[in-house]
Amino acid sequence: MATVDSTVRAGAPVAPGADVGPPAPAGVGPYRLGLRRLRRNKAALAFGLLFLVIVVLCLCAPIYANDVAHTGPNANHVTDTVKVGGVTKDVVGPTGEPIGPTWQGRFFLGADQNGRDIAVRLLYGGRNSLEVGAIATLITMTLATLVGIVAGFFRGFVDGVLARILDLIWAYPVVLLGIALGTSLALGGISLGPLHLQGNSLLVPALIIGVVYIPYVAKPIRGQVLGLREQEFVDAARVGGAGPLRIMWSEILPNVSSTIVVFVPLMVANAILLEAALSYLGAGVQPLNPSWGTMISDGIRLIPSAMHLTFVPGIMLVLAVLGINVFGDGVRDALDPRAKVRLEEHAEEASR
Amino acid sequence: MQVRAGLAVAAVIAALATVVAGCGGGGSTTSGGTGSSSGGRQGGTATVLMGTAPDYLDPQLTYTSQGFEPTWISYTGLLTYQHANGTAGGVLIPGLATALPTISADGKTYALTLRRGLVYSDGRAVRAGDFAYSIERAIKLNWGGKSFFTNYIAGASAYDTGRAGSISGITTDDASGRITIRLTQAYGAFSNVLGFPAAALVPTGTPMKNLTTSPPPGVGAYMITSSTPNRGFTLQRNPRFARLGIPNIPTGHLDTVQVKIVSNTQSEAQQVLSNQADVFDPGDTLPPSLLPQIQSQARDRFAREPIPSTFYFFMNTTKAPFDNPAARQAVNYAIDRSAMERLASGFLKPGCFFLPEGIVGHPTSTCPYGESPNLARARQLVRSAGLAGTPVTVWGEQRSPRREYVDYYTDLLNKIGFRATEKIIADTVYFPTIGNAKTDPQTGFADWIQDFPNPSDFYLLMDARSIQPTNNENFSKVNDPRIQRELIRLNPVPATRLDTVAGDWRALDEYTARQAYVVVYGSESMPKFFSTRLNFGAAVFNPTYLNDWSTFQLK
Repeated sequence: MATVDSTVRAGAPVAPGADVGPPAPAGVGPYRLGLRRLRRNKAALAFGLLFLVIVVLCLCAPIYANDVAHTGPNANHVTDTVKVGGVTKDVVGPTGEPIGPTWQGRFFLGADQNGRDIAVRLLYGGRNSLEVGAIATLITMTLATLVGIVAGFFRGFVDGVLARILDLIWAYPVVLLGIALGTSLALGGISLGPLHLQGNSLLVPALIIGVVYIPYVAKPIRGQVLGLREQEFVDAARVGGAGPLRIMWSEILPNVSSTIVVFVPLMVANAILLEAALSYLGAGVQPLNPSWGTMISDGIRLIPSAMHLTFVPGIMLVLAVLGINVFGDGVRDALDPRAKVRLEEHAEEASR
Repeated sequence: MQVRAGLAVAAVIAALATVVAGCGGGGSTTSGGTGSSSGGRQGGTATVLMGTAPDYLDPQLTYTSQGFEPTWISYTGLLTYQHANGTAGGVLIPGLATALPTISADGKTYALTLRRGLVYSDGRAVRAGDFAYSIERAIKLNWGGKSFFTNYIAGASAYDTGRAGSISGITTDDASGRITIRLTQAYGAFSNVLGFPAAALVPTGTPMKNLTTSPPPGVGAYMITSSTPNRGFTLQRNPRFARLGIPNIPTGHLDTVQVKIVSNTQSEAQQVLSNQADVFDPGDTLPPSLLPQIQSQARDRFAREPIPSTFYFFMNTTKAPFDNPAARQAVNYAIDRSAMERLASGFLKPGCFFLPEGIVGHPTSTCPYGESPNLARARQLVRSAGLAGTPVTVWGEQRSPRREYVDYYTDLLNKIGFRATEKIIADTVYFPTIGNAKTDPQTGFADWIQDFPNPSDFYLLMDARSIQPTNNENFSKVNDPRIQRELIRLNPVPATRLDTVAGDWRALDEYTARQAYVVVYGSESMPKFFSTRLNFGAAVFNPTYLNDWSTFQLK
């Protein structure tokens, strides 16, 4: 059984039932220790680096578009021609077939049906996919942490209401809920008081994905908080005159931080995947914005003659998700080797 | 029809056809000839694949090409179209009527006589009174084109609103077979309206409800014997029809036509290419990825069939920036129609006039804003009108190549100085959405495929009277006094005399193009694509009702 006492503070993630592993060397904090463990996990670092490379490449999309490809992600070149190996070729043929990879600056990976540069769209699409993934994760983690801590700490009526709302969201399969929300909001956008988001805003799919994943994070956190609130250090804080807000902020939050950190890369991966699925089905990123999902969808009908239209964004999607997932596993193993077991336990508790 | 637009072309040609048919039984042929049941192998089964299911299999409800194909040959009206390829296929011929209608001098009264001895596929006798009942049924069921009846037939509107128990403008006499139709105003294309499957006869007493799953009996070469919505349906030859001896209407070769719905057009085309199925539905788009293969491996069983249609982007003349003629002219200067042709994989013939080829009044002059794109001029127009940076939302459908058209158009608007974004919505709700006053779209995709070969069918979309709060078809909200004046003058001209006003229609269409109310980019072709089992040359492709299944025969 782990030792949990009132001296535990932010930066020292410990939870009931967790095995903290070998005792930390004197003067070394748990995060530094985790970093050391992570450094020893070469596979996680390699995949993390892969993800980082993809992110950097995508962030450099405007540079590539302006200085190498000399075209934007949405610029059509239907009747243009390009010289490949001294031969002039149509970007889009008379019967609509797009040019394949030229392996040169213009149309490096070929063009799509509208004569748009695939490489440029791939990078811009990646930027959009990653942006949606990052914002969605931010929304999920913020709201799920808030809901999980409040529900777990207050229990009773508050917990009952919040838990039922989470159950309601959880009751729907993620993709179906995403499609339903995405399809309806893509047309009219979102209006919440003074805030209005256009239907084609990237924030719409980000918000949808962020919301549908809340129960998947909030429930384990709530379960963890239910245990933490009974610990002596919380009682000590209460006796010391701290109010609920202060206890949640100063005592509970630091103790669930490792769970939050572990969840972040996994949620990014899930959010990117869900964004791709929704965009593929027309309920995610809206045109003209490219995303890997929309690119796969656009290219699928040309698979027999131009399979690169589907495969290139597909491969990028796989690499990005694989990279962040393996890295996320490494982070989990480094920061909290028993996290997986613990989260499962809490998920069971939460469902009871 | 949605392949919806324009059954109108058929009216003009119908007029010409009237003359031909009246002169000798309507057996005129054009290149490709008319379908005939004489000769060729009889019997057998063919499998037709459809990517999109028919909206209905009830003649008084269907209004899509997928629904017209089976109902046209299963439900014959008083008038119908010649079973022929090309322009001859737009010629009206008597169907269940003994002859084309006698029209009064003021154009308001149509008189027809029912053939004697007609029976439905279930053996019941056909009576003249069934015609009135069928029109009432179409109105009661809210057929998509019911305004063709309610706007013109006396008393039809009152029947529609429940103020009358029957349509006072239709009188019938079962004994003599006489049918008289009184119109509230002369409408030159009314003969074409009688050619719709919705005006075909069904027995009096047929339930006033959607009978798609159990279609009612009709008079036609085939009868729909089973139907499972969104899965498929079966047509079998009607043994009673051949005995009726109606001239110029084929009695069919195949015993059975099996129709299967295959939502994936890639699979649909593959199955026909590999002879696992027999017919690719022309209402679907051939996947560009398979085109090279089809053109090389199936050259003798594949053709692009032009149909009178207009593909265009509407520009709402009541909303900025397109309330400014400079904005509309700029778009017309900028568009590259050869790019659109490529986006359509060659299934589009570039054009700039609203009346397409094959329709009386189609102009042959050069495009008022040039044949090739002039981006510099377009940018200059937008800049000088102070419209640079104006936000524009472009509406479009998901299906290919319409989505590609809209992507191209949006990029074009951005190139000439607007700030354009897209709204792509599901195909099934697209036209109701953009036709709703609450949506009030700025610009977007639109098309019209003839309901019948008559210019008035196309100009329905430019008629200010078509502007409605729901199901609006005048998407640009054109309200031009000159167009209105001309429509009031030209619309009543009977289809048989359309050639006398061809010059007027041409002048009107050239005027419309100069006003740049829309940006037309061409007229579509449709794929006629069969397996090797079917006799490709003998099968008729009708410009209005597409594949004529009653002319299909196995080799």
